Amino acid sequence: MIPFLILLLTAGQVAPPVDSAAPPVQRLAAPVGVKAFDTPNDKGKSITVHWQPGPGAAPEAWLVERTDPAESTEVIAAIEPTDTRYLDEGVMDRVKYTYRIAAAAGADTVWSEPSQPVASSAQLFNTARLNILIAMVIFFALVIYYIETAKKGKNLFVRRIAGLDAVEEAVGRATEMGRPIIYVPGLGSVADIATIASLNILGEVAKKVAQYDSALLVPNRDPIVYTVAREMVKESYAKAGRPDAFKADSVFFITSEQFAFAAAVDGLMAREKPATNFFLGMFWAESLILAETGAQTGAIQIAGTDSVFQLPFFITACDYTLIGEELYAASAYLSREPLLLGSLKGQDYGKIIILAIVTVGSALLLLSKIPALSFFTQIVSFFSVR
Amino acid sequence: MRFFQYLLKIDRRIIYIVVGLLVMLPLIKPLGLGVNSGPRAQTLFKAIDQVPAGKTILISVDFDPSSMPELYPMLAAVMRHAFAKDLKVLLCGLWITGAGLADKAVTEIPPEFGKKYGEDVVFLGWKAGVDAVILGMGENIKNVYPVDYYGKSLDSLPMMNTVKQLRDIPIMFAISAGTPGYQDWLLYAQSRYGMRVGAGLTAVSAADAYPFLQSGQLTGMLAGMKGGAEYEVLVQKAGYSKTYMPAVAAMDSQSLAHIVIMILVIIGNIAYFVTRKRGA
Amino acid sequence: MRRNIPLAICLTMGVAMMVQFFVPHPASVAFYDLTTKWVRIVGAFALVLGTGSLVMYHIDKLQRRRTGWYYSIVTLTAAAATSVIGLGWGVKPGSPLQDIIFSNLLVPLNASMFAILAFYMASAAYRAFRARTKEAALLLVAAFVVMLGMVPIGANVPFFWFMVVVNVALLVAGFVTRSKALLIGAGALVVGLLAWLGFSGFKVPPLMLPDTAEWVLSVPNMAAKRAIQFGIALGGIATALKVILGIERGWLGGGKQ
Repeated sequence: MIPFLILLLTAGQVAPPVDSAAPPVQRLAAPVGVKAFDTPNDKGKSITVHWQPGPGAAPEAWLVERTDPAESTEVIAAIEPTDTRYLDEGVMDRVKYTYRIAAAAGADTVWSEPSQPVASSAQLFNTARLNILIAMVIFFALVIYYIETAKKGKNLFVRRIAGLDAVEEAVGRATEMGRPIIYVPGLGSVADIATIASLNILGEVAKKVAQYDSALLVPNRDPIVYTVAREMVKESYAKAGRPDAFKADSVFFITSEQFAFAAAVDGLMAREKPATNFFLGMFWAESLILAETGAQTGAIQIAGTDSVFQLPFFITACDYTLIGEELYAASAYLSREPLLLGSLKGQDYGKIIILAIVTVGSALLLLSKIPALSFFTQIVSFFSVR
Repeated sequence: MRFFQYLLKIDRRIIYIVVGLLVMLPLIKPLGLGVNSGPRAQTLFKAIDQVPAGKTILISVDFDPSSMPELYPMLAAVMRHAFAKDLKVLLCGLWITGAGLADKAVTEIPPEFGKKYGEDVVFLGWKAGVDAVILGMGENIKNVYPVDYYGKSLDSLPMMNTVKQLRDIPIMFAISAGTPGYQDWLLYAQSRYGMRVGAGLTAVSAADAYPFLQSGQLTGMLAGMKGGAEYEVLVQKAGYSKTYMPAVAAMDSQSLAHIVIMILVIIGNIAYFVTRKRGA
Repeated sequence: MRRNIPLAICLTMGVAMMVQFFVPHPASVAFYDLTTKWVRIVGAFALVLGTGSLVMYHIDKLQRRRTGWYYSIVTLTAAAATSVIGLGWGVKPGSPLQDIIFSNLLVPLNASMFAILAFYMASAAYRAFRARTKEAALLLVAAFVVMLGMVPIGANVPFFWFMVVVNVALLVAGFVTRSKALLIGAGALVVGLLAWLGFSGFKVPPLMLPDTAEWVLSVPNMAAKRAIQFGIALGGIATALKVILGIERGWLGGGKQ
């Protein structure tokens, strides 16, 4: 009897034969860790959802479902399986939503637990730009400090800039030869810093031209720059005590078309045969066309631009070139105004700080390759701009 | 000595004639120097080649007629590649002066492959405002462009039924001669909507794109006319097109122009050193 | 008063736009959009001023029969014709403005002006690329590397053979000018090249000219560009600050009071 009972009890418990050829079937698993939060540093109406894949088969897609306070549910997106983050920009501010994520493959769908309710709102301060704010405050403080120092009468040293020293010589040459000076204030608009810098230099050049009783031609590509340049030159002639010598048609607008402007200025140079050319401001591809034509006419040429692409052409074809910030320093250099010199000094100390940060940051990045020092990348990432 | 002094001051007109002849002659009688495609062009080619048939790629025409010789060949080559792979092409532009050039491409290239406007290719035109345009297209293309460049409603174009927003586009090619350009597409379209971005640039500004290539943000790059020639060669080698390759033809001229500039510089330096030494 | 109002507007808007950069709130974004629209509108009005200046300048030139007055007839006729055609027949694709003026005039003319650059580059390079100093000589070698590396003719040239040619040129220049510095430099380069050959197992090293050209563009060239751009960025910020605070008043069109 007992052996029969044992046989009966164990009958269903014999282990099934294992087929070693078939792999274990993995099922889809629900995503885990679904978190929804108000997208930071934005203008509102945006919620970010992220999740981790569950311990199961890889899905063909993720489905994102949103539920609003009225319990209305809608699948709002189908995401590639490699992404685990979604930005929902179809929400209203201050309304709470919950989210669920599903792993989908074919007809199978496995849903996650819902997230905590979350509402979006607009932020008043973009914390990702805190590093820029700190840098701005430090830089402004330096500039203002040195402006105040200059106001107190302290003498501030500025190194020689050959191109600016040559301005007086260039204007004198034009007077001796009886030929005009052509001043091109660039092709940018008055909103460009390089154009503002150029107009400041134009004021100084126009004053010298008035003093030397030479002729000045200022062709313009931008209508607003034309109006400002005309007033600038007129005022400079008045300051030099020669308001009668100002000719209104010496400052004129040509065209807004880039190469048409270059062609017109080339024609002007070929006809007028100027003794001196100034190319100061923002330039693009026409820079070499202007500079080389000027070189052919035998003029002395002083150029300056903040476009790193055009600097090589000016350096090749012109006698003097103001590189980058030397153009911005020109108004301070020529006028020797204490306030302007002070700001130049502050700017230079700002550059020293940047130099130090770049050097230290490069060293930290190199050292971060050592596993124990990998946290250095977090220090460096503070300086990244978003 | 007089010979070296003459070499120091060769008349510009002679230089211009020599350069002009050496640029023109290979266009009439090609030298057949050949073009090898570099890794950047190959990356872009593979990326577009892997897009499944029926999908849409976006091309942003951000250049003007002055950059046309450098950039138009790469626009044509990419469009030919796309049509040969049965991909649809959507064009737009951030430069107003590029609209005419995109119109030229849309008129000339699709008929080579029997493709029809509205079904296989659509040109949206130009709209003011860079970030607003790209961000708007990211949400809904029809909100930004209710009509195309030719004034036709987007609802009437069958191709636009499958392309509603940037997420429907797996890859885009931004051809830029300056700003606005590929950097704006990277900043707004790629970072926000995950769209892959390839860039076509003038040779002068190509170096600026290397950091984006190294970080993986850019999927391939075509630099200048050489980049266009590399892509044309890849398209021809794959058997997608047998048309005349203007960039490849121009590379012979570019090679000779570079050689003649180098020779002139060497002559100038020899004359300079000899006259300086003898003068001393 | 004439200066104070523009200065006050400049200060207010300058500070407002700086604050706007840090505030992502929709009101801030709307303010930014409104400001950029105003800038475009004001720019459009300024075009009227510019066109007026252009017309007056050329009419004056015509009346006084100054040098080149006949070109003024061409300019005024072209400006008038483009305006009439654009206003009369529209600017859409297929209009005469697009087909005739843009496609058949403006496009070829722009392309021609751009093409002049090729000739000007040749003449500028010939005139200016002289190895007057060591730095200039190094720049020249780098320029040759990039020029050859970026065209098909240099695609299969190993960098090693290029440096051998440079070495020969240095030796010849050294003998011709009897310069010790050049001869010592050439000698050092010979040693360097032989060492490189040795490290490569006495086979020509596989580094090709295009790879070297790309390195020159993406490393030293990029480093120099970034350095200049740092300075430009800081100079730009400082100039903008001076304009906002009213220290720099040149843009008012009359210098300082």
